[in-house]
Amino acid sequence: MNSDFINNIGLTHYLVLAAMLFVTGMAGVLFRRNVIVLLMSIELMLNSVNLTFVAFSKFLGILDGHIMVFFVMTIAAAEAAVGLALAVTIFKRFNEVNIRFFEHLKG
Amino acid sequence: MTADAFLFWFLAIVTLVSGLSVILNSNPIYSALCLAMTMVGVSALFVTLNAYFIAGVQLIVYAGAVMVLFVMVIMLFDLKKDLQTFARGMFTGGVKLASVGLIAGLVVGAIKSAELFTEKVADNPVTTGNGMESTKALGQILFTKYIFGFEALGVLLLVIAVGAVALARSKGGTHEQ
Amino acid sequence: MNHSLLMALLILAPFVGFLINGTRYKKHSGNVAGSIATAAMVVSFVSAILLVLDVVAMPAESRRIAVTFFEWMAIDKFKVNAGFVVDQISSIMILVITGVGTLIHLFSIGYMHHDKGVAKYFAYLNLFIFNMLLLVLGDSLLVMFVGWEGVGLCSYLLIGFWFTDKEKAAAGMKAFITNRVGDAAFLLGMFVLFMTFGTLNFSELNALAPTTMESSWLGAVTLGTLFLFIGATGKSAQIPLYVWLPDAMAGPTPVSALIHAATMVTAGVYMIVRLNPLFIMAPNTMMVIAIIGAATAVLAATIGMTQWDIKKVLAYSTVSQLGYMFLACGVGAFGAAMFHLMTHAFFKALMFLGSGSVIHAMHEEQDIRKMGALKKYLPITHVTFFLGWLAIIGAPPFAGFFSKDEILAYTFNSPLGSPWLWAAGALGATLTAFYMTRLMALTFWGKSRVPSSVHPHESPAIMTIPLIVLAILSVIGGWIGIPHVIGEHLGHIPNVWEHWLHPMISPIPGWQAIDHTTEWTLMGVSVGLATVSAIVAYQFYVKSPEAPKKFVESIKPVYNLVYNKYFVDEAYFAGIINPLVNISKNTWYYIDVNFIDKMTYWAGDLMRGMGSMVRSTQTGNMQQYAMYIGIGIVVALSFVIMG
Repeated sequence: MNSDFINNIGLTHYLVLAAMLFVTGMAGVLFRRNVIVLLMSIELMLNSVNLTFVAFSKFLGILDGHIMVFFVMTIAAAEAAVGLALAVTIFKRFNEVNIRFFEHLKG
Repeated sequence: MTADAFLFWFLAIVTLVSGLSVILNSNPIYSALCLAMTMVGVSALFVTLNAYFIAGVQLIVYAGAVMVLFVMVIMLFDLKKDLQTFARGMFTGGVKLASVGLIAGLVVGAIKSAELFTEKVADNPVTTGNGMESTKALGQILFTKYIFGFEALGVLLLVIAVGAVALARSKGGTHEQ
Repeated sequence: MNHSLLMALLILAPFVGFLINGTRYKKHSGNVAGSIATAAMVVSFVSAILLVLDVVAMPAESRRIAVTFFEWMAIDKFKVNAGFVVDQISSIMILVITGVGTLIHLFSIGYMHHDKGVAKYFAYLNLFIFNMLLLVLGDSLLVMFVGWEGVGLCSYLLIGFWFTDKEKAAAGMKAFITNRVGDAAFLLGMFVLFMTFGTLNFSELNALAPTTMESSWLGAVTLGTLFLFIGATGKSAQIPLYVWLPDAMAGPTPVSALIHAATMVTAGVYMIVRLNPLFIMAPNTMMVIAIIGAATAVLAATIGMTQWDIKKVLAYSTVSQLGYMFLACGVGAFGAAMFHLMTHAFFKALMFLGSGSVIHAMHEEQDIRKMGALKKYLPITHVTFFLGWLAIIGAPPFAGFFSKDEILAYTFNSPLGSPWLWAAGALGATLTAFYMTRLMALTFWGKSRVPSSVHPHESPAIMTIPLIVLAILSVIGGWIGIPHVIGEHLGHIPNVWEHWLHPMISPIPGWQAIDHTTEWTLMGVSVGLATVSAIVAYQFYVKSPEAPKKFVESIKPVYNLVYNKYFVDEAYFAGIINPLVNISKNTWYYIDVNFIDKMTYWAGDLMRGMGSMVRSTQTGNMQQYAMYIGIGIVVALSFVIMG
């Protein structure tokens, strides 16, 4: 690694960071079995996307990215609320939050 | 190493480590705490990008409200430790890992290979302004150009509120009265 | 009243009756249904009379009431109106249909009294009258064809009226299918005429008819008229399609009187007379018609001599008399054909109703071997039947005498006829006299062979009144067509019939008036033959009842041939029906079951197999679905970045 890469922080750095956060969240969605952790992983992915928006907004010099982040946050909050309500309902039904108990969509 | 660069590297490492902890911890309450840490990290990263208002909202809404919701639900279920943390299955696990790795590789490769915005753009609140100015500009654009989306979100939130209450009120599942 | 209203009343009154009885057939008792149906018929009859009176009041050359209700269809040049015409020909038909129809409705009230489906019966009967009126009033072949099909349907419904009896249901189907064969030819005839003349309207067709005879067998007029005639053989029970009519006697007897004697079966004759300017220009067709008519007249009469069922005898008699009408058409004597049509409607309806009265009295017994000496139990029926008998054997001055002798005279004298055809006609008349006398003798005269359990009784007035009216018509009906040769000796009585029909009938090319000596001779010969034949039959069946058996023994093979109706039904089965059934069975098995069905099964199995292959991917595991999304993203990204 040269010193330019370390010292000169640009758009690329933010985007790579966001990509790594995103795949982390994606790995969580794919591998974890706990419904609540699944929801958390989704939040993680949404956050990484927000980071991308803000980074682009800064480096393009326009504010529309911020607006998009604003919207994404609202929807993320709503999704969390509904998702958790569903989790509560499922927990009440099965007394279990493991996702393999809900495999009722079999073909 | 400049102060800016140090700040970025520090925050990046904190965010990534806590993000990985979210998915690797088998105790959901630790996952939730790590997620809160990630949120704070991202919020700080927003500050380094001059997005002060968004950073504030991130702290209040995510690290505050949403995380509290998660933690409360975990408390409600009284979950200590997952009996089965990760999905089983060698083949599907391999495919999942491969797809995750491939996506990471492809995206990072794409970002690296594209020469993105090496030149700085002209002065405006996004790039240079202090908190007041950028927030003011954001408010103006939100209530003029994006007013329809803003109102639609209001309606969506109302629907969500009603839906969440209706779901939580039901006695559990669709199979019992 | 204006003509459209009268026409609508005439046609629609029976239809309204059909709707009333047809929609409430479970509620109406016999008397209610019968009264409604008969009232509808009376309305129709009165309208017909008023219309015909108006026609009579018109000048002779323009006697025509045409009413067009609406344009039925218009496809480029092909235009058909729902138009109806009352002229010289159709006025006769509507009077016969509604008049005889009314009498038969009246008779049915008494005859069908005990039947459970009586309201349904009257509904069908009214529907039949409606369709028959469409047939005779329609101003184009297509409107006629609607009625043509409609009467076929009603005939089917009424023959199979007691459909719980399998044989009777089968008789209905036989009639329907045999008629379909003729109807197909009728349609072909319409196509040919439309191709040639560009119209199906009767008056236009007749106006466009060529003025010279067409000698080719494949000319448009010859082909078209030939096809139409084949259609007529189906509906009017001529060789080769006559086989359904004797079986049609499975229906109630008044139905046999109305449909299978007086009206529907004469539709073919009516159609030919309607289009006579066209037919007369196709001498080949005319020859075919005359030969078929004469052959049918003789063949059916011979079969009629051997039958034991009272209605079967009358049925073969009807076929034979229809043969006469076609013979008349074939030699160009269209007026005589119409004349015989009318008188036959009177006396044959009378005889069928009389046989109905007998069957009613005998408690549904139809075998004349179990009758005999019924005249003392059924005096009114006997007298009316006797008058009908005189009419059909051609005894002067009854109705049948005038019409039959006019046909025979034309057959002898017309350039289209020949002495051979006359001989066939005279033979038919002789045979008719024989089998009719046989029927009279076995039923009403001689010794009683009635089983002791049966107590015959005279029918009620509602059944005898129609008999009396028809008997009167059978006696006097012929007097409106008295030939000149007789008329001039009786104070110059004009031939009303001929004058009436004259404007509608094309003259026979090359016609020379028959000289009086010949006409007297022909008349004398046929009456003499009939008289002799009747006396022989009387001797056979009344005086010495053992004689017929001995005679039959002496000609056993011939008798068996005739008694079994020349094995025509069997021949049809062996030659047409069974091969057809076999072909259908093979087609069904080899093509439908083994090919088409299997193809559809293969298609279904293929889909099912493909489904079961991908079904295993639907595990219900959300994370697996997410994995599929991930794979999709990888592929899409690869395309975007690499491509």
